[in-house]
Amino acid sequence: MSDDGTAADGGSASREGRLPGIVTRDGDRYVRVTRGLELPPRRAALGLLGVILFVAVPDLATLSPLLQLQVVHQGALFGLAAVGLNLLLRHTRLVSFGHAAFFGTGAYAAAILATHFDVTSMLLLLAGATLFGTLMAGVVGYLSLRHTGLYFSLLTLAFGQLLYAVVIGQGYFGSSDGLSVRPGEANQALLFGVEFGSEAYSVIVYYLTVLVVVVGLLVMWRVINSPFGNALDAIGQNRTRARFIGIPVRRYVFAAFVLSGVYGGLAGGMYGLVQQHVRPESTLYFLRSGDILFMAILGGFQTLVGPLVGGIVLVFLQDVGRDVTSYFDALTGVVLVALVFGFPRGIVGSLKRGSPFRERLGRLAADPSLAGTWLRGAGDAAVAAAYRAGENLRILLFGVN
Amino acid sequence: MPVDLSNLLVHTLNGVQYGFILFLIASGLTVILGILDVLNLAHGELFAFGAYVAFSVFGYVTGAIAPPSGAGGLALFLAVSLGAAVLAALAVVPLGAAIEAVFLRRLYGRDEVYQLVFTFGLLLIIKDLNKLIWGPTPVRVQSVYSGINRIPVAELVGLNFPTYKLVIIGVGAVVVAGLFWFFDRTKTGRLIRATAIDREMATAIGVSTDRTFTLVFALGAFLAGFAGAIALPQSTANLAMGANPLVLSFVVIVIGGLGSLRGAFVAALLVGVLSRWAVWQYPPAELAAPFAIMILVLLVKPDGLFGTWGETA
Repeated sequence: MSDDGTAADGGSASREGRLPGIVTRDGDRYVRVTRGLELPPRRAALGLLGVILFVAVPDLATLSPLLQLQVVHQGALFGLAAVGLNLLLRHTRLVSFGHAAFFGTGAYAAAILATHFDVTSMLLLLAGATLFGTLMAGVVGYLSLRHTGLYFSLLTLAFGQLLYAVVIGQGYFGSSDGLSVRPGEANQALLFGVEFGSEAYSVIVYYLTVLVVVVGLLVMWRVINSPFGNALDAIGQNRTRARFIGIPVRRYVFAAFVLSGVYGGLAGGMYGLVQQHVRPESTLYFLRSGDILFMAILGGFQTLVGPLVGGIVLVFLQDVGRDVTSYFDALTGVVLVALVFGFPRGIVGSLKRGSPFRERLGRLAADPSLAGTWLRGAGDAAVAAAYRAGENLRILLFGVN
Repeated sequence: MPVDLSNLLVHTLNGVQYGFILFLIASGLTVILGILDVLNLAHGELFAFGAYVAFSVFGYVTGAIAPPSGAGGLALFLAVSLGAAVLAALAVVPLGAAIEAVFLRRLYGRDEVYQLVFTFGLLLIIKDLNKLIWGPTPVRVQSVYSGINRIPVAELVGLNFPTYKLVIIGVGAVVVAGLFWFFDRTKTGRLIRATAIDREMATAIGVSTDRTFTLVFALGAFLAGFAGAIALPQSTANLAMGANPLVLSFVVIVIGGLGSLRGAFVAALLVGVLSRWAVWQYPPAELAAPFAIMILVLLVKPDGLFGTWGETA
């Protein structure tokens, strides 16, 4: 995905055919998508381009060996979970460390329904996954939202790990081997009672994902631009003041938490359909929660599509890294460290107009000699850091002050 | 169901030993959290790094001196092993100091998610650093462990209990006492606490917060590395060993109250003993027990057992 607009553009563009409309406001023209969603033509075009690229992935994958449908698909699903997580992260300023729990609950719900109850319908499996992910979010949210800050983060993490421990210890969940999502006699889930070949199946599930993602982004856009979203923003900035102006803080944050669980459960169920096998390690382990959180930040958690882009990029990075070097973890680590210090706004956030990165690029284009100055500055900073480290070592050996 | 008393004693001792290991790991994390207000996700990997370095040092040790024979030889062996653990922990100190001084320092003013991303990136990097230096296969120093275990201390009181676990309890107790002494009695320790409680005031009376913070992070790294080195003889050093201690020490510091050293100590023993009892009575509970304990404690006392260090001390 190469669009730098917001997800809303994507969603909007998909509906353009149904509701073509140009509105003029203050002399500027906007593409009107739905009520309340009007975009400048440039962003609408970018969004449309993004959706077209997204839709074209199965065809692109046949052209280039570098791009794999499976990778983009997985990335989009983790990205969808990250979009849900971002509702908490961006607006209420709560850092959840256990979102793999909802993703995993969704994946396992689909697997259990398929394995133990022989549910064959894809849509039913997804509905079950979403339902259980939501319920799990309700339980975890009810218990963790008594806290804020680090307590909240660590509590969500603990619930996630508890779930992981339970799943890996019980034969019903297939222990560490996991469960397959192949219902009864059927080799794979069916859509409207029709069974597809494995090639067609993966493409169909992919398009189902595209649909879910686009709708999910649209809904999220609606939510964060609603009074409810504004209230969440207020809560994120100052809970006490938010309470004073009459916002029912606990209930709103709880609702946001559950909504983010809906995204997680849905993405997890979809993941189960894609992989056709779920394991505790890859869906429930706390490093997966970390992945989902860092996808949001990598893509730019101050934007709507950022988490989705971050998901695809991170999964792609891990996949390519695995082929290139056995130290692919460190590769991801270096990217994250570079992100913190170089691009704190994330990929999409850095490309946005008015961001420091765009500004810098502009200045560099105007005066290429700046590059040398910046390099020298970086060199000086490195020398200063080394000197400081030496100084600190001295202090460590001979005491503070 | 009748409970065998000597069994109970063994499982309790096991739990205490486990608790001390947990405390050794969690203490570094809680010190860093209480004073720097940073949740160091790379803590578990520093623990692993310490274990790996200890493996190398143990290797030299076992090569340098004769295999243990007789009580005197074993005592010497034990002393050298503990020395190796300290050396391994010291090797982690410059790493910790550099991390704080070069990178982390620039993130204090920023949103806490950036600290998390940074330390998570660090986690991945250190993990692969271990892989680069020591290779992907697990390494162990079992021979040293069984050597130490042959010291017949436990048989003296007629109890079948591995000696090395007693050593861990002893070492852990010394570290606990040392930490409390350091933060309560020494000037540096008091300055650190002063900085934690009121950064501006500490600066005003002439404490350099930069240096204090570097020192604290280095101390935390030392504790992590030491815990890894001490825990090594019981199992292997492997690439996945960092994750579990990290999550368990989250449990410990949350039960104890974030940033409270005393709380971490009590919580570590609590988790250690209770989870060993739970595993004894119901083996499948092994992974879930610590989290269940944590959730129960937090339902009763939402802020953990002890409040935040910086506010109460």
